[in-house]
Amino acid sequence: MNRRLPHLGLFLALASLAPSSPPASDANQDQGRQVGQSFQVPYRLTDTNHFLVRVRINGKGPFNFLVDTGAPALYVATETARKVGLKPDKGSFWATVDRLDFEGGARLSKIKGRVEDPFQLVGMNALGLPGASIDGILGFTILARFRLELDPTRDRMTWTRLDYEPRDPVVPDRRPGEGPPAEVQAMNMLGPVAKFAAALVGKQPEEELHPRGYFGLELEEPAEGGVVRVTRVLAGSPAADAGVKPGDQILRLHDRTVKSLKAIREAVAEVKPKDRVDLSIKRGSETQELTLTAGEGF
Amino acid sequence: MRRSTLLSLRLVLTLACAGSLLLVGTGPVPAEADGNEKKGTGPQTVPFEMLVTNHMVVRTKLNGHGPFDLIFDVGAPITLLTNKASLKSGTIKEDAPRSFLFSVRGESEVEKLEMGDMTAKDVPVIVMDHPLLKAMGEMLGRPLDGIIGYTFFARYRTTIDYQAKTMTFEPVEHTVRNLMKDLPDRLAGPRVARHRMLVSGGLWGLNVEEPADGLNSPGVPIVSVAAESPAAEAGLKVGDVLTTLDGRWTTSVNDTHAAAAGVPPGRETTVIVLRDGKELTLTVKPAGGI
Repeated sequence: MNRRLPHLGLFLALASLAPSSPPASDANQDQGRQVGQSFQVPYRLTDTNHFLVRVRINGKGPFNFLVDTGAPALYVATETARKVGLKPDKGSFWATVDRLDFEGGARLSKIKGRVEDPFQLVGMNALGLPGASIDGILGFTILARFRLELDPTRDRMTWTRLDYEPRDPVVPDRRPGEGPPAEVQAMNMLGPVAKFAAALVGKQPEEELHPRGYFGLELEEPAEGGVVRVTRVLAGSPAADAGVKPGDQILRLHDRTVKSLKAIREAVAEVKPKDRVDLSIKRGSETQELTLTAGEGF
Repeated sequence: MRRSTLLSLRLVLTLACAGSLLLVGTGPVPAEADGNEKKGTGPQTVPFEMLVTNHMVVRTKLNGHGPFDLIFDVGAPITLLTNKASLKSGTIKEDAPRSFLFSVRGESEVEKLEMGDMTAKDVPVIVMDHPLLKAMGEMLGRPLDGIIGYTFFARYRTTIDYQAKTMTFEPVEHTVRNLMKDLPDRLAGPRVARHRMLVSGGLWGLNVEEPADGLNSPGVPIVSVAAESPAAEAGLKVGDVLTTLDGRWTTSVNDTHAAAAGVPPGRETTVIVLRDGKELTLTVKPAGGI
């Protein structure tokens, strides 16, 4: 194992304990710094209880980044860096991200990041554990620029830009000594172990997502005990093609009796585009059986 | 023979899995929170200290003993306490069994965790000696007694202000997922992708397609807008590139449907489109329907 190889996180963290006092960041030329602005940042919680938010790097993306106050800086996985053409500055430990956009509207510019495969991500991504790929880590030097509000009952975090520019961590190479402690090196090996295990048993697949099919029916919630009425049929929609007309009452949909908007949504909850759906309607005193082919859209 | 192969595979997996979690800052086996807190109390402020390693540390009392210094790590999936601190605080008993790996002693609970003016009750912890914590403590010349992770944060609306060096916690009703109960099953179970339908909250009369230029694409091109639909009334046009819906990026068809899922019928929301290179913000009010 290459003991000189700098490792993420702890090693960096330890490195910053080096006696030489770290130089203050000179990269404060953050234009339009959005100080005082608040952003609603959508996040997802992975199966492993990690917070992921989406970013664009120099306008490219989106990528899933881990929100991790335990990491000292910004880490961009090598594969992610390759995709966006991000390379370390000449002769430097750091790469400069000209522009880092966060879903929700926050933006940072001229941010230093480290291109590296964080060993914890190697393990998690290999097994497919988080249910999503993780493309990098947002650590202290990013997060400290915001006041962060995490509310587990909401699907968004609130980030408020502070008038605060944290220092970059010191480059680990400056630290005298030969590498991280043995125990940490042992932990570093677990990434490859996970990768090996994943090769043997297969990776956990990512979640499959399917948009529901489109009908083009505008519906009115009936009074208690009533029947759902079509108020509008959108032009060119599958419902229009099937011959549904405004004023029609919907009796049955996809083999279910439907007496509310909720029941209608439940009846078609699993319908995908191109699926055929039977529909019983009442028009005047007549009952008609129609067949609709769900479309794409919403 | 076959059976033992399977068993050892499972062991490797479990270790690897434990490892990958550990690497992000903590260990396996979080417990479920039972959230016995007093609800309805306002936010409580807790000052923290920044270590030179850029970690937040809070001085706490555990079950009336202490002080204990705990790292607050939003990236850690669980909350853990060292063996020493667990013994000193009465969280575990001296004769609790150990496993060989990182001296894990399993799940326990801190009855009372005090920090600043705040008291948290029945905090689930994993008792283990995390090598990272030990190494950091040695470098800093001060002991670090544990890591507060997701299982703690999930019980509160948490605000972190690095500038003021304070955190605030306000209890919320939220069920904390038991990570380790689900995870081994997922690992040992069949490799079947879970599937999830993306269902728009309301009717828009809009269709978009996948962007052509991948990572460089700002959003999804609009391919149809039904006449007189909510989308048409908002001013959306075929050829517009939809970049944001209800504050969420729309970088794929799935993204777009997922974002629309959060907007119920009758609620106005904003969308952002690119038209002729200019950004336009429009307001859409989806109708009830399918």
